[in-house]
Amino acid sequence: MIELGQLYILIRYILIDFAIFMIVTLSLNFEVGIAGIAQFGRVLAVEIGAYVAGGLTGRILAYTIPELRQYSGAEYSNHLINFKLVDTINRTLLEHNALLSIGILILTLALAAIIGGIVGWLTSYPAIRLKEAYLGITLLAFGDVVMLIAQNYDPIVGATQGVSVPDPFRWARPYSFEAALIIALILAGLTFIFFEMLVRSPFGRALKAMRDDEVAAKVYGKDIVKLRTYALIIGSAFAAMAGAYYTMYIGSCKAFTYTRLTWTFWPWAFMMLGGTGNNVGIAVGVLIFVIVRTIIINYKTYLEPFVPFDPIWLEPMFVGVVIILLSVFRPQGLIPEKPAFTIKKRRIRSIIEIMRKQAS
Amino acid sequence: MIEPSLVYKALAYSSNIALMAAGITMIYMSTETFNFAHASKVSWGMYFVYTFYNFFGGHPYIYVPVAAILTGLIGVAMYLTFNRYLLKRGAGMITLMMSTLGADLILLALLNILADYLSRVHKLYSRQIRMEIYDFTVAGIPFSTLIALIIVVTLTASIHLFLTKTKFGIAMRATIENPNLAGILGINPELVYLTSWFIGGALAGLGGALLVFIMAGYPVIGQYLIVTMFAGSIVGGLYSIYGSLLGGFLVGLSEYLGIWWLSTLFGGKMLAYRQVIPLVAMVVALLFFPQGLGGIKWGKVAKVVRGERS
Repeated sequence: MIELGQLYILIRYILIDFAIFMIVTLSLNFEVGIAGIAQFGRVLAVEIGAYVAGGLTGRILAYTIPELRQYSGAEYSNHLINFKLVDTINRTLLEHNALLSIGILILTLALAAIIGGIVGWLTSYPAIRLKEAYLGITLLAFGDVVMLIAQNYDPIVGATQGVSVPDPFRWARPYSFEAALIIALILAGLTFIFFEMLVRSPFGRALKAMRDDEVAAKVYGKDIVKLRTYALIIGSAFAAMAGAYYTMYIGSCKAFTYTRLTWTFWPWAFMMLGGTGNNVGIAVGVLIFVIVRTIIINYKTYLEPFVPFDPIWLEPMFVGVVIILLSVFRPQGLIPEKPAFTIKKRRIRSIIEIMRKQAS
Repeated sequence: MIEPSLVYKALAYSSNIALMAAGITMIYMSTETFNFAHASKVSWGMYFVYTFYNFFGGHPYIYVPVAAILTGLIGVAMYLTFNRYLLKRGAGMITLMMSTLGADLILLALLNILADYLSRVHKLYSRQIRMEIYDFTVAGIPFSTLIALIIVVTLTASIHLFLTKTKFGIAMRATIENPNLAGILGINPELVYLTSWFIGGALAGLGGALLVFIMAGYPVIGQYLIVTMFAGSIVGGLYSIYGSLLGGFLVGLSEYLGIWWLSTLFGGKMLAYRQVIPLVAMVVALLFFPQGLGGIKWGKVAKVVRGERS
């Protein structure tokens, strides 16, 4: 039997993964499901956010402390200096100051969103010129190259050694994990509400029109270039925030954590399972996958003695089988996209009634 | 001065990339499927050679054709299990692409399971396979370079003969041009798709199997190489097998020799940024000549070069 404490730990992990992947997948869904852009480079924005949290926030904090100012340059990410430096920042600045910690958290997320948005704007250059698979491959390669550079050029986030990240949840000790979890869930909820509202807004409907028929959208005076650019900026900003948050919660930033498998292909699988274009479906898809993933990772040791391989490989196999089954048997996902109503259904019905009466 | 061994390796590497890129183009031309599973098929090609050599002995080179046929059969299995139904339904490019990604994940997982099995049960050092020592030289040239170049040349010639002289080759071209019209004329498009999936998979396996003699292999090597493969295929224009062979060769060569040149200028640290070169080649190709090398009208270029502007 599973003990209660163990179950609690498991649920904690499931929920925080759910919250973070929810934000990433919602942003992906906004670009793919709503705007129809073949975003095969989701990892690009995520890793940019992570590098902001890992490389920029710490430098800003180090700069504000006079004794540490000399280390706020390229030396910051030297792993011999970095761990002491970040520890000093954590102890002197963040440990006893909840308000400052939250401020740092918000500042990091805001910076990540801004820089992620700029990256999204840069990727719009190919995105308005290329189509479907061509764009997908280009974005995929961009994501890979940024990771490659971060992994080999120390002054960003310490290359293969990685850097420690100032911990904005330390004030809540011994409940810092719970604090991180609650804030993550709040952020995921806000993101969900934001994207739901955005999809219902005139902008969201214009994006859907562009996705369904570009020429028709053009005929009605929609500026395709502008729509695509905005969609990419918004999506990338949110993905970057998720990346930054993930890095702060993990507490360290290593470039090779941000692979295209975890941050591009998995969100794609989550989205396909839940239902492309449907935010509620996304929540369901992410939850199912995260539960299965966590269970495989946590209980692999029980299976290990019986098989001559590491059971961790069952996870990509499971994802692969699900992707193939979905694309063959249920391409619309578990919860297919429904028409989004801008006003309540009851109100629409009453308007129809009134119009019928007027007609008769 | 550049060392001859480096040039040989560069030639072998770029020939293998050319084979893989031709495989991608083959499948894309006939079924409009961007095949992500090409990555794992390349790794499988490597591991087939490694596994068979360790179990049955002999010389590793004799298992290269076996590896090619087996990866070709993986391609056939992919076509029969899901690609066929998706094509019949008229699924979009993105769905086709995602389904191959699913297959890639399954193949990757299976390959890792094989590697784990080899290391745990048979105590082989299978996480990193090194078989460069089995390569030998013929008249001072490494056999890996020689065979890769020979295969690329014969492949170019035989594809040309196959597509222009044989009945099935002509049927294949017709199906690629217009599947419906070809169907009316009694050509079975399914057979054409099946063949191209087989050839595409076999080319990936062949490239991987030959790669094992020039560089160390590990289960995710295909995932690293796929950017280069796609770059080769896109530079080649995606609608021409010859283009992809040439594109793959050029991208591979510029990657291998370009990074060597940059490392002599800026030091050994540059070697880590190898993958940037194929990316740049691909982006330049996509943004400036989207038709690729296969689409450039060489006659016109020659005229411009000679100064006879049309």
